[in-house]
Amino acid sequence: MNRETVIRVENVSKCINRGRPNEVWPVRGVSLEIERAQCVVLKGPSGSGKTSLLSLIGCMSRPTEGRILLHGRDVAKLPERFLTEIRRNTFGFIFQQFNLIPGITVKENVMLPLYPTEMGLTEIKTRAERLMKKLRIYERRHFHVKGLSGGEQQRVAIARALINDPEIILADEPTAHLDTRLSVELIEILKGLKEEGKTLVIATHDPLVYEQGFVDRVVEMRDGRVI
Amino acid sequence: MIKHLKILEFALSSLWRRKFKNLGLIVVFSLIIFTLSSIVFLTYSFKREAVAVLKDAPELIVQRLSAGRHEMMPVEYMKKIKDIPGVGKIVPRLWGYYYDISTGGNYTVMALREGLQDKISLMEGSFVVGSGSCVVGRGVADARFLDIGSIMPLIGADGKVRRFRVAGIFTDESNLLTNDLVIIGEKDFREVFRIPQSIATDIVVQIYNPTEVDNIARKIKEALPDTRPITRREILRTYDTLFDWRSGMVLTMFLGAILAFVILAWDKATGLSAEERHEIAILKAIGWETSDVMELKFWEGFIISSLSFLTGLIGGYLHIYFFGASIFSPALKGWSVIFPEFRLVPYINIYQIAVLLFFTVIPYMAATIVPSWKAAITDPDVVMRG
Amino acid sequence: MILHPGIIALLVGSLIVLALLLYGSVLAVVILRRWDIKSSSEFQLGLERKTYLVSTIMSFVLGFEVLAIFLFIYTVDDLHRQFVGAMCATGSLNANPVGWYVLYVKMLLFFISSLWIGINYVDQRTEGFPLVRFKYGMLLLVAPLVLVDVYLQSRYFLGLTPDIITSCCGALFSKEGGGLSSSLSSLPVRPMRYIFFTVLGLYVLAGLISLKRQKGIFRGLMGIFSVIVFLISLASIISFVSLYFYEIPTHHCPFDILQGYYNYIGYPLYGALFSGTAFGLLTGFTEILKKLFPSLEKINRYQRKWTILSILFMVIFTLISLYPMLFSSFTLEGY
Repeated sequence: MNRETVIRVENVSKCINRGRPNEVWPVRGVSLEIERAQCVVLKGPSGSGKTSLLSLIGCMSRPTEGRILLHGRDVAKLPERFLTEIRRNTFGFIFQQFNLIPGITVKENVMLPLYPTEMGLTEIKTRAERLMKKLRIYERRHFHVKGLSGGEQQRVAIARALINDPEIILADEPTAHLDTRLSVELIEILKGLKEEGKTLVIATHDPLVYEQGFVDRVVEMRDGRVI
Repeated sequence: MIKHLKILEFALSSLWRRKFKNLGLIVVFSLIIFTLSSIVFLTYSFKREAVAVLKDAPELIVQRLSAGRHEMMPVEYMKKIKDIPGVGKIVPRLWGYYYDISTGGNYTVMALREGLQDKISLMEGSFVVGSGSCVVGRGVADARFLDIGSIMPLIGADGKVRRFRVAGIFTDESNLLTNDLVIIGEKDFREVFRIPQSIATDIVVQIYNPTEVDNIARKIKEALPDTRPITRREILRTYDTLFDWRSGMVLTMFLGAILAFVILAWDKATGLSAEERHEIAILKAIGWETSDVMELKFWEGFIISSLSFLTGLIGGYLHIYFFGASIFSPALKGWSVIFPEFRLVPYINIYQIAVLLFFTVIPYMAATIVPSWKAAITDPDVVMRG
Repeated sequence: MILHPGIIALLVGSLIVLALLLYGSVLAVVILRRWDIKSSSEFQLGLERKTYLVSTIMSFVLGFEVLAIFLFIYTVDDLHRQFVGAMCATGSLNANPVGWYVLYVKMLLFFISSLWIGINYVDQRTEGFPLVRFKYGMLLLVAPLVLVDVYLQSRYFLGLTPDIITSCCGALFSKEGGGLSSSLSSLPVRPMRYIFFTVLGLYVLAGLISLKRQKGIFRGLMGIFSVIVFLISLASIISFVSLYFYEIPTHHCPFDILQGYYNYIGYPLYGALFSGTAFGLLTGFTEILKKLFPSLEKINRYQRKWTILSILFMVIFTLISLYPMLFSSFTLEGY
């Protein structure tokens, strides 16, 4: 298999409130390489900087120092407008909270990331329906998300993360709000995605996740550093 | 293109989800537009009515002034005017005001003269004004409960009561001019108001060539220095200025109300609920760009203002043209008890709408720019910090 | 001062725009002084986010100016009854000649703000935002222009006194009068017509060539040409285009065609002319910028889009002007 490096993080640090008394460095001097179709787990206690690192990799925020290369292109200094575009085309996010918008239907929630693109509505609908069928929420498509069970909400969030057909999937503590049965279900889905050839980066401290066989590498973090 | 439509669609659905929160804003906004559009419609109709009425008015009227006040005019003045080249027919007019004690109304009383019949056409009954009969306007008829054949008494300058039988009532649909009018015969008029044969109220001058009006007016002024020639154009202009000034005044006073509304809109746009904030953060996190969120906010503002604008505008239109400006009439009636029943001819044009837009939607849109930007620049990773 | 609803609306609107632009200018100064695209500090991020606010403000200004030009002409037209000798907007503008400058400034504002929005559009889609300094420098020129607009507009309206005897389009645009305006209308119809259609034809041709061969020179030509087309078109409207709408051989008035009596034909006519000119100007102007900022190489596709739009609007403009000449029985032969 092609061992191509997809993401290369070079000596990246992130500072918040620089120069003020409440200055913090959630990420300090982290270097990391992630290859195509790999599953990497960022492990560490809460506050260890894994979520911040995930958001840096996912072009949600910009590092204060260092470089982040995505397919060899430095994205660390790009303005937000371009970061958003890269994010929209490359990444799918699964958040700790499901972060679904209440009051609109399952289908609309799934379709929402593609609204501000030039893609036609029929194309978006076809994609959404395919994903909803695959994740067994198609019957619920006209329900408001408030009326769904926790597992269903999680699957809606995953469908939404996949609607842009991302190359890389980032998951932030995906099992934090799930019981064991649902966690196992989620892990099965993640495993399936990996088998499809997606690159996975998961931040978690749940052994149920990082002890899985499909995880290629576990990166341990503490105080913003890789140990 | 399709992108904008999708964002518009989401804006509609997101407004619909928060309909009760936005309802208050829409109601206040609509009320402001309702009031302003009522004012604009009303003054425009007045203006148009004045123009319509004056269309048939004489080209030139000559009045006499004495110490700067309007004075009765000797009929012999007519001879001098007659000599000016270009002057056609000259007709003296007799008219005045009459205060009716029993109703508290002020009437305009006018003596019948030739040609008057052709100018005021619409009425019921007949236009036969012989000795002892009269024709009255709708407002007078209503104030005194008159019908055809009823008796209309007028108290003369000598204190004696004279009775006039009502021969006809004006039903002119735009009755701004005829509403308070009472027409009686010339002989009766001179008797009631004790005016000698030798004088008239003013003189109507017909002029053959309309472009000569100003010229002839000047010549009359030279020949008869104590007179004041009034051209129709001048009256029209005065009406125009008067109504513009009035509506301008009222609109200026309403600037305060608009300002208050703008502050409300600003406040509403700034004070996003936690739920709305979270929603914007989610949008940013799942790949919406700052400008996409701003576009969403723009569409929301656009929908709110279009909805309010249409509601207010239609409301104002109905108020003025179908409900007779019922909210304003108590204020307007102040200057005369028998102010015309408003039955104005519906009239609306782009200009009125443009002016209303400038007064309402533009300040609203301007007020929401900064707050929606503030909302749109939410950090996309805020949902991850949770 | 004439307390007219339209006047108050215009003044209030201009003040709002001025306030927004002053705020925008303050932001622009900060951006000009502190902008550093290489920095990844939170401050730079804040500045980048402020650019969104400034571009929204400019869009608002452009939208406002488009509406304001029409409201201004409409208001001025509505005022004409108050001036002896005035029959339409021309008469009211002559009642206080400052009015003409207000109109020119408003037109200038329209073109500058549309140019700005076009440049901003390109810049925000180019990595590294090469035009930031240029853009915000340019913005600092817009604010004073709006100030001039507010000042002239107030002076115009405050200086209007109803008893002024003024001359209207009949006199101003008559062949006997003096000055530029009357020479415009006394331009001989036949050669003028040739010039008008030739210039429009050449313009469309230049546009089509620039679409076919990706040569910068033709785009540059379009920019220069669009200004010429604009001026010649205005002169032609006064000289002969409007006459066909009025069907009166002596009525040279650029404003009456906006009235309902002529089916508001002036709105699409001027709308197409202004839009066509703005897009042409943008194409030419960005061509110059491309020479100055090499990183703009990728903007060809936007220029292509603008060229097509410009041609489209100019063709619409030509068709509207041509329509009454072809389908009305009225003829100007012999005048």
